[in-house]
Amino acid sequence: MSTQITHPWLIVTLREVETKLRDKAFIISTLITLLLIIGSIAVTGFLATRTTQFSVAATDQASFSVLNQAASDAEEQLKISVEQLPADDAAAQLDAGQLDATMSQNSANKFTLTGSDEVPAKLHGALRDATEKVLTAQLLTSAGLNVDQLPDDNALEISQMHGDAERSSMIQAMAFLFSFLFYMSAIIFGMPIANSVIEEKQNRVVEILASAINLRQLLAGKILGNVILALAQLLLFLAVGLLAAYLSPVQIPFLGVVSQVAGWFVVFFLGGFLVLAGIWATLGALASRTEDLQQSSGPVVGVLMAVLFIGMYAKGGFLVIASYVPIVSSVAMPIRLLGGEVSLVEPIISLAITLATCWFTILFAERIYRRAVMHTGGALTLRKALKLEL
Amino acid sequence: MLELHQISRSFSGTKVLDEVSFAVPRGALTGFVGANGAGKTTTMRIIMGLLTANSGHVSLDGKTLSAPTRPSFGYMPEERGLYPKQPIIDQLIYLGQLHSLSRATARERAMELLSRFGLEHRAKSKLESLSLGNQQRVQVAAALLHEPDVLVLDEPFSGLDPLAVDAMSSILADYAARGVPVLFSSHQLDLLDTLVDHLVIIQDGKIRANASAEELRAAHTSRYQLSLGADAGWLRTEPGVEVIDLSGSNALVSFATVADSQRVLTHALSRGNVTEFAVHRPALADIYREIIA
Repeated sequence: MSTQITHPWLIVTLREVETKLRDKAFIISTLITLLLIIGSIAVTGFLATRTTQFSVAATDQASFSVLNQAASDAEEQLKISVEQLPADDAAAQLDAGQLDATMSQNSANKFTLTGSDEVPAKLHGALRDATEKVLTAQLLTSAGLNVDQLPDDNALEISQMHGDAERSSMIQAMAFLFSFLFYMSAIIFGMPIANSVIEEKQNRVVEILASAINLRQLLAGKILGNVILALAQLLLFLAVGLLAAYLSPVQIPFLGVVSQVAGWFVVFFLGGFLVLAGIWATLGALASRTEDLQQSSGPVVGVLMAVLFIGMYAKGGFLVIASYVPIVSSVAMPIRLLGGEVSLVEPIISLAITLATCWFTILFAERIYRRAVMHTGGALTLRKALKLEL
Repeated sequence: MLELHQISRSFSGTKVLDEVSFAVPRGALTGFVGANGAGKTTTMRIIMGLLTANSGHVSLDGKTLSAPTRPSFGYMPEERGLYPKQPIIDQLIYLGQLHSLSRATARERAMELLSRFGLEHRAKSKLESLSLGNQQRVQVAAALLHEPDVLVLDEPFSGLDPLAVDAMSSILADYAARGVPVLFSSHQLDLLDTLVDHLVIIQDGKIRANASAEELRAAHTSRYQLSLGADAGWLRTEPGVEVIDLSGSNALVSFATVADSQRVLTHALSRGNVTEFAVHRPALADIYREIIA
């Protein structure tokens, strides 16, 4: 015999969670997102560490030195093995597939690179650079100059007064990720709050519920259930993402900072989501049919789109302001924190503003909910709903 | 006993209930009748705490009900409401839990009620896959799950087939016999005669009658049914007799005094055969029509 649950809100919460966990579409979309996260990290790792090997034979001394130059200059993921062979042997081995290409000198400044069916672009690129380098060096030497005296690619170095370039691109990537995760959760878990309020209102089951338990408890249970689901899904995504990044053979920079800010993001996400939950519940109570929600949810979806764009593009003063505006701050403040130049007071103040807004929104939502949810016949405006008597 | 004490309620300035007072005694089925818009649903919602009264209060066994919820009451709203896309058993368990039952007890009670309504094999079906009559039975099961102390049912018989009406009647009688105050509204006046022990009639937000069925019948039994061997037309000219209905040798009449009735009986016997001379027992439906006319 199971034990009796005495808190009605808890029963409502459990039911919200249970219903969602039985929803196949929800389970499948979560699994697909997880696979995408793991997949994208794995593909990045694979591409970064994959080495390509080419075997090339030179048929003369000049080609041989070009190939050696290419082999020593080649980037980490490219290996070129070099040998010198007579022209006939080289052609036979190329034909037999033992070589990827052969190289021979035609005239003083001309070389030919021969492949079997094709010449790999990567090999072509490496050898072209090497040929140019060797020929230039020969020319300079004949003119009595030393190749080391020439200016090289690193003549202009880049430096930033704040942070560095690598960090900036990390912030950009994480900003996109945070914004997208928040947007997705707000829709996936926010909308159902409104829909479940409408459903109970439309079916009048709310009359039975309201006679059994306090509407405040009903609302709290609904919001809490969806918050738990949203948070659990977010934590799952972040945990799997970070774990995959740690296990990845490629060294991913700033993983420490990212993990730390991910913690902040979870806290801000929770605050922002609670504000949204209150708004969704209010919209649900005002609507009389599911169709009404499509109209009334426009402004909320607008705010969410703003969050998405601010997360991706906002910079400087605009981002600083955004990091104090509830809902938007859920993404904007973590992005600023990634830069590492924000004092601890700032996120705490921003969080306090969000929590205060959250408190008011939920109280307001409850007020509207208690009045509007028993109302039948047509959608309500906020003003009308506030005028309704209990 | 559930009692309403001078309940008044207005909606945007229009008075919908005007000092409504009546009692729903234990051990009796109380019928609540009135035309559409007379105030039945509003009264029931106020009893259930879903609406507040502008004045007056509701009490159970002398204690005023102050909290907005009535977890120990069983309620069936006028507009039926459950979750159409969810399995029946799941929603019954959920509602049972909200009424403080444990999950196991809720399941046990739900299955018990479903089998009483012959729906045990549909427990896992979605509500919307059931016929309307069966959905109605599930709705009743939802109201009875937690063994309520008081039953308030808005139109429990509407949309039921005759067999379901019988099942519902026996369930309501069963609860009343256990001492639960049962209040139900209905437009099916013919049902009231066989079913109710107590009748409350509401018209334009005012209570027009509130008495036991026997009292109401007694108050409306000044009529006599007469069947004679020959034409009864002569009754029209008899002093102290009001003819309400007359066809051939049959008449429905009322007498000014008992002496008038005895005199007319003697007279009728002297004119020929009298096959029937009986106090007319009015149907509650007739009494209702008479009261609200």
